[in-house]
Amino acid sequence: MAKHETPLLDELEKGPWPSFVTDLKRQAETKPECWDILGQLELSYKDRITHWKHGGIVGVFGYGGGIVGRYSDVPAQFPGVEHFHTVRIAQPSGLYYTTENLRALMDLWEKYGSGVTNMHGSTGDMIFLGTRTENLEPLFWDLTHDLGQDLGGSGSNLRTPACCLGESRCEWACYDSQEICNHLTQHYQDEIHRPAFPYKFKFKFSACPNDCVAAIARSDFSVIGTWKDNIRIDQAAVKEYMADNAEYPSNGGAHKGGDWGPFDIQKEVIDLCPTQCMWMEGDELKIDDAECTRCMHCINVMPRALRPGAEKGASILIGAKAPILDGAQFSTLVIPFIEVNKESDFEEVIDVIEKVWDWWMEVGKNRERVGETMQRVGLPTFLSVMEVEPLPQHVKEPRSNPYVFWKEEEVPGGWDRDVKEFRKRHAA
Amino acid sequence: MALSVEEIEAAMIAKAEKSPKPQLYIKDFYACAPDMKPREVKKIANALVTKGKLMFWSSGSTTMYAVPSRIKDEEK
Ligand code: HEM
Ligand code: HEM
Ligand code: SF4
Ligand code: SF4
Repeated sequence: MAKHETPLLDELEKGPWPSFVTDLKRQAETKPECWDILGQLELSYKDRITHWKHGGIVGVFGYGGGIVGRYSDVPAQFPGVEHFHTVRIAQPSGLYYTTENLRALMDLWEKYGSGVTNMHGSTGDMIFLGTRTENLEPLFWDLTHDLGQDLGGSGSNLRTPACCLGESRCEWACYDSQEICNHLTQHYQDEIHRPAFPYKFKFKFSACPNDCVAAIARSDFSVIGTWKDNIRIDQAAVKEYMADNAEYPSNGGAHKGGDWGPFDIQKEVIDLCPTQCMWMEGDELKIDDAECTRCMHCINVMPRALRPGAEKGASILIGAKAPILDGAQFSTLVIPFIEVNKESDFEEVIDVIEKVWDWWMEVGKNRERVGETMQRVGLPTFLSVMEVEPLPQHVKEPRSNPYVFWKEEEVPGGWDRDVKEFRKRHAA
Repeated sequence: MALSVEEIEAAMIAKAEKSPKPQLYIKDFYACAPDMKPREVKKIANALVTKGKLMFWSSGSTTMYAVPSRIKDEEK
């Protein structure tokens, strides 16, 4: 039986789509507090204002993150959501769970919370939605002691690092994204669990430019696999694709359902290469690798014929964010190629990370993501902070500012000037 | 002359007690330890939380520090 009338929310159950309203009503059969989520949301739709209070002091002892405190501002009306805190659970690298572990996690959440989950949140963690303050410590105890799992990051912390499934399953992986993700998670425990920065900071690791974890859009520090040398071509396999051999379906058969007609390498691959760096010479496929942007299109279409090069590593891009202050932005290429090396405990990548942190913690304003700080100072300044020589690949668009500012060390012979003497004649 | 850790801690608590708003950002504490790197200041602030002299206040996306007595507990 419905505890509250929800005519506005009920509209969201019409139509062919899955509905969170239907899901919450079903959940309310065993977890009655879910009625109060619906009741309060209905009231918000009517009042056109949120009834969640923002923020608070809840957490587990010793941790400054992982729990997001939420309280209702109308608890008398909706006691089930008087407290409705979110718990972030760190996800395993590549999101590999055993069914046994998933069941144990769900049992834990049935016991201590509303049973409502979000798998996975945009940071990467598994999100448990809705519990009371007094349940937090017991939940944390069972999670860490019985399941050997940990909370993720929230607030001004390093957020739970996330990665693609990489070398565990994917032949395109250019580095071991799971290994570095796990290594840095261990290495930066303090930064994950205790606030460290002017604002949140996220790492994400995709082992090739297909970027399955959307690192370029969702992380301040995006590590995306790439290669230095040439795309490896198996010309015999190219011919099999062109002959429409059923053993060589385009895109690995992912679009097999549709009627696309015979495979057309010119139309489906060569003409779609964004840098127009491919062509046929007789029946041989040629690539001008110096012009290839590593977009992965040709490799995705003909996986049996084309492979990433052999000299593998990653590009580091910095500064993605979703809109809170300004619009969304992607990360910007900063380090074109870096080796991602387990033998050195990923020291090369760690050096870059700490260079960014040291600068951003100093220069970044409160609640300013590093991408906003970069925008504020400009890319040339940021590149000099990072001690990176500017490259054509760093340039997003032709210059829009007609002035060129030289530094003294950039001009042969430098210059002498006495600013005091100059100001005597030209007051500032 | 560089300040001792005790002097820095005292300066941080004094700042959190006197600030117009009870919650402070980590950056607000940098001035208490002018010779230290921000990551060192962060360690001191977090140690003060462990000792119960400061506490975290989080919006979910941002974390701030406050003197416990100045914070309204939503549950009281
Ligand atoms: C044991 C259970 C599960 C396994 C092993 C599993 C495995 C996977 C794998 C391997 C992918 C990637 C597919 C690809 O792009 O190649 C995927 C994607 C996805 N899964 Fe699951 N999944 C499980 C449960 C679930 C559940 C319960 C949900 C939702 C309630 C879900 C929602 C999704 C969604 C939305 C994607 C697409 C993600 C994206 O496009 O970025 N999965 N899953
Ligand atoms: C019409 C209702 C709602 C809409 C349209 C909505 C939409 C969204 C969207 C688009 C996201 C980002 C998801 C992602 O990228 O992973 C999100 C995240 C989230 N939502 Fe909602 N939401 C709704 C209701 C709720 C309710 C009722 C709650 C809590 C009771 C809630 C709690 C959260 C939380 C905690 C996150 C963050 C998850 C994370 O850490 O990534 N939302 N929501
Ligand atoms: S990002 Fe690349 S390497 Fe990682 S899973 Fe996706 S396709 Fe494979
Ligand atoms: S990876 Fe992209 S840019 Fe490079 S050759 Fe293939 S289609 Fe062209």
